[in-house]
Amino acid sequence: MAARISAIAVALVAAVAVVALGVPTAGLRVVLAVIAALGVAAVAALTSARVRREHPVVARTLITVVVVAVSLIGTARLGSNVDTDLSLGAAMTIVLLGLSFLTGSSGQISLGNGAFMGVGAFTVAIWANHHHSSPLILVLVLAVMAGAAVGFLLGLPATRLRGPYLAGMTLAFAVAFSAILNVFGSWTGGDSGLQLPNAENAPPWLTRLYPASTASLSVNSVWLASLTVVAAGIALFFMSNLFASRFGRAMRLVRDNDVAAELVGISLPRARVTAFVISAAYAALGGGLWTIVNNAVTPSTYGFALSVTILSLVVIGGIGTIPGAIIGGLIYAFSNSAIGWITAHTGLSPQGNVASQLNGIIFGALLVLTIIFAPLGISGALRRLWARRTW
Amino acid sequence: MDAFWTSRVMSDILGGLTNGVIYALVALSLVLIWRSTRILNFAQGAMAMLAAYVGFAVLAPSTNYWVSMAVAIVAGVVLGGLTERTVVRTLYGKPEINPVVAMVGFLLVLESVAAAIWSTTERSLPTPFSIIDWQLAGRPVAMSPFALYEVVTAIVVMAVVAIVFQFTSLGLQLRAAALNPEVSRLLGVRVTRMLTLGWMLASGVGAVTAVLVASNYFTGLTPTTMDGVFAFGFIAAAVGGLDSPVGALVAGVLLGVAFQFVGDFINSNAIILVALGLLIVSLMVRPSGLFTRRTERRV
Repeated sequence: MAARISAIAVALVAAVAVVALGVPTAGLRVVLAVIAALGVAAVAALTSARVRREHPVVARTLITVVVVAVSLIGTARLGSNVDTDLSLGAAMTIVLLGLSFLTGSSGQISLGNGAFMGVGAFTVAIWANHHHSSPLILVLVLAVMAGAAVGFLLGLPATRLRGPYLAGMTLAFAVAFSAILNVFGSWTGGDSGLQLPNAENAPPWLTRLYPASTASLSVNSVWLASLTVVAAGIALFFMSNLFASRFGRAMRLVRDNDVAAELVGISLPRARVTAFVISAAYAALGGGLWTIVNNAVTPSTYGFALSVTILSLVVIGGIGTIPGAIIGGLIYAFSNSAIGWITAHTGLSPQGNVASQLNGIIFGALLVLTIIFAPLGISGALRRLWARRTW
Repeated sequence: MDAFWTSRVMSDILGGLTNGVIYALVALSLVLIWRSTRILNFAQGAMAMLAAYVGFAVLAPSTNYWVSMAVAIVAGVVLGGLTERTVVRTLYGKPEINPVVAMVGFLLVLESVAAAIWSTTERSLPTPFSIIDWQLAGRPVAMSPFALYEVVTAIVVMAVVAIVFQFTSLGLQLRAAALNPEVSRLLGVRVTRMLTLGWMLASGVGAVTAVLVASNYFTGLTPTTMDGVFAFGFIAAAVGGLDSPVGALVAGVLLGVAFQFVGDFINSNAIILVALGLLIVSLMVRPSGLFTRRTERRV
């Protein structure tokens, strides 16, 4: 036990030290040192099962801090392209957490979370175009509220629907979404979408900390990546508490045995609608962040295909688990690079039909194979391996 | 009388009928699969699309419409059988989320594979009949020879399905296997074979539908041609009741006509909004569909 803790701690210190030594400014080195210390403490605490059992909130806070810290160190080191991928992936993690909660905890399924993302994305863009220089937090709160409202409307029939019906209804919403945007074309910009009037720039303190902004590593993309990673961290923290809360347990009972749930006094309609609202609100937050990162929004992004991608990532990562959502977000962040690598190493023409469809073929096949052979996804498989360890 | 046939209302009814039979066919194939295997086949549209591609791309440029149609149907039937034997069979008795996820994944694979082979460029299929509307006293009636052919073909397909189910031994076995697999198996029905046959039948119906949709001048054939049609077909099936073939057909035709009126009198973007609203309301009022007898869920 003690050996394991110290081994992990030493490895972490070494890793952080290596990263910190390469950082250009003294200020950032101090920040990294603090993060490293926190990380080591966290890992040490987490490996102790007693802490996890007796102080679950502390444990969850520490997990969140470690995940965020590692990602933040990454944003400062990895270059602009990776930063952008990481921003989109971190925002996607938020969306995945929402669907994972809906499907994994309450047993409902949604093929419309891409459209819920779109609700958040367009809320941010529309607001920014009418109220220049609103604080970021306000804009994101509005996106979450809009997402929750739409989720509530679509969640109402969910109170009475079972699996496939609900999936079909949310699919209809996803397919209808671009037409809905067109109905409100004067606000949403119709097919061409909207540009944000002002790009989200790094605040002065970060620019001072980061004077060496180059072509490959710009302070703005570091800022955007940090922003989304912190947002994902906050979402992660809330979700991990929600999973473990009274409400989360009630949800799992609703999923596994709705009659028993009713008998112990859980209101099924309220539980189901609430899960739907939470899932839509998370999706909208992710979509809002996408708009800020991309500095623009187009309706074609939020078609049915995105909803399918979201479902694939949740299932492949592991339904109903927090690590599953993080794994899914990472897969999303780096899938384009991975597919580029495959294309380059198999001699496919990058502009060819096959290369452009590789993404769909691989994700689709993985989705089918995962649900048939490993329904708990990557995190489920890892958990099983961990349980079988001999040390 | 001439004025009646060319009036705005009649045009909407005729135009709506042409779309409605397509939704009805999609709904019918969904219902066939739902009744026998309790799986909502989200890949229905994509499977049909692939069958249409096989029919028209493999044979090109020797494009005889009828040969291609026949090849597409065969391709659809084979694809349906293969799908049931490989993917679907592993999903029986699993939590109801698993088949949904698997079929969505299958949909993604099929659409991507079709786009990889044939690209996403729209392909226009030959039409066996003129698509120019008939004229009556100098004004167009909203019905062309091709549209009439669509309606007639749909009716023929529905009739064939109905005859197979009602009047043949095979149909009896199919119904028995869907209604009560255990007892049917005891009585000598090859239940697993019936499930495969059910998928083949539904997928064949799907192939006909996709060819009709794709040879329509306005849509053409792309890997995602069937997405919108599938959504409307699902709405029809859900409103009519996934357990009721008659309900699916009636709902499909009625929805087609209703949407045409909405598109004409409001605007075309409003159609999908109305459809969605209708779906939500009807699912809230009668979750199991308007045409099914209500069954209470038991513990």
